This record gives sequence, C-alpha cells and structure tokens, in this order.
Amino acid sequence: MSEIRIVNATGLVCPQPVVLAKKAIEKNEQVKVIVDNETALENVRRLGTKMGCTVETQAKAGGLFEILLTRQGGTPVPSENVTVACKTAPAAAGPFVIVCAEDKMGRGNDELGSVLIRAFMHTIAGQAEKPDVMIFYNTGVKLALQGSETLDDIKELSAAGVEILVCGTCLNYFEVKDKLGVGVVSNMYDIAQTMSRASRLLTP
Amino acid sequence: MSGSPSYCVMLFKSVSYVLKAEKILKKENLPHKLIPVPKKISSDCGVCLRFEPNMREKIEAALFKKVEIEEICKLCEQ
Repeated sequence: MSEIRIVNATGLVCPQPVVLAKKAIEKNEQVKVIVDNETALENVRRLGTKMGCTVETQAKAGGLFEILLTRQGGTPVPSENVTVACKTAPAAAGPFVIVCAEDKMGRGNDELGSVLIRAFMHTIAGQAEKPDVMIFYNTGVKLALQGSETLDDIKELSAAGVEILVCGTCLNYFEVKDKLGVGVVSNMYDIAQTMSRASRLLTP
Repeated sequence: MSGSPSYCVMLFKSVSYVLKAEKILKKENLPHKLIPVPKKISSDCGVCLRFEPNMREKIEAALFKKVEIEEICKLCEQ
C-alpha cells in the first residue's frame, strides 16, 4: 500500500476542496482531505462515494474534518465522467426562520408547554447558530409582550440581529398591540413571503 | 442577565418542583430565570432555575421547607 496523500483544503471554498480531492485520488490509492466546513465535508464525501472509494470521516478539533478516501482493492478510478458536484449549504438560498405559532411548545399539556417554550427561547438566544428571522403569530405573539417570561430572550435575539416579525392581526385580536415589547408589527404579506423564502423553517 | 461572570442554578427532583419553586419566587419578587439544565451538569431534558449568586441566600430562605431542593451549582458564564 502506498502512503497516504494529504490534501489540506482548509480555507478553501467549494468546489476547490472537491477538485483537489478528485485530482489526488486519481493518482493515489489513499487520500486524506482536511476541510473546515460541513459543506465541503459533504461534497468530498459524495465525491468519494461516486469514485468508488471507502469513505471515513473524522471530526477534529477547531471545526476541522478529516476525510479518508481509500480506493477499494485497487479498483481503477472511474473514468473522467465523475463530475465535481458542488452543493452549497441551503442557508445560502434563503433565511433560517423560526415560527412561533403558539405561546407553548408542543401539544398535550399547557403548563409543560409553557415551560418548554421558555427553555427553548433561552437556548436559541444563547446558541451560536441564530435564526435570521423569527415570526410570531396566533398565541405566539404573547411571547413578545411586555411582562412575558420570554421577552428578555427575544430582545437578546433582536439585539443580535434577528428580525422579529409579530403578526399585527393577532395583536389586534388579543387587543395587546400597546403591550408589544419587541419586534416589528408585521402583516400576512411579509410573514407568508418570509416563510416561503425560508431555507429552513423551524417550529418549536 | 449577561455580563456576570458566574451564576447559580438550582436543581429539583422534577419539573413540578421547579414550577412550585418558581411560583414562590415570583410572589416574593426574587429575580430568577427558568432555563434548561446546563449540559455540563446533566444531559437530561430538564429545567432548573438560574439566579445571581448574591440572590442565593434569599432564594434558599424563600423555598426553605416549602420545596425540596436537590442541588445548587455555581457555574461560570460561557
């Protein structure tokens, strides 16, 4: 067995890691590709599978991933027609949206649901991967009112750049428009459009 | 809530104990926050009460003989 060829693809954006990996595996039995993002990881993995390699991945410190591609039992590399596929992360396509349609999380027990939504908001506010937009409608608008247990967390998200859209019809229905503590009074056009454009839509 | 170097979390045997404790703290106007149990303490899907270390005595006193406390941990803000 020949030695492992190392391809350092950190700091490179797609399709570069895939191109380098492909070149390397065409000439070597075994290639270790180092990447620093999940998109590259997925794309290199997909390439390896297409090229008939065994693929082993390992997450390393500092957000790095090592992908070990091994040609199976000396099988020849498939001919040139393996294209360098480069799927970018869906995040690039549309916003990450969280929709709060209720002032609770889950159905079944309201008391528990109120506890869960508070824990959820606290966690979302604290995590690195924040949504681009949060939409509140129906009883969900109550989460964004003054005196709400979740208000501070939503304010924190708003301060971090998360767009907070609160359904105006709903505020009106509950007669609480004057109590809105955070966010923009929004309408169905913006809400429906944002939800339609979303690359990811999450409902607690 | 942010900006403080450390905080305390109070753990209970069950969610209903947390709610009971919270009701008391609200009535007494003692600042606290219901949060998920930090991962470094437990990976269970639990909730606990978080508060500033300087509130610890008052909060413990308010709950004394009313709600059984399982544990109090002092944690550093990440």
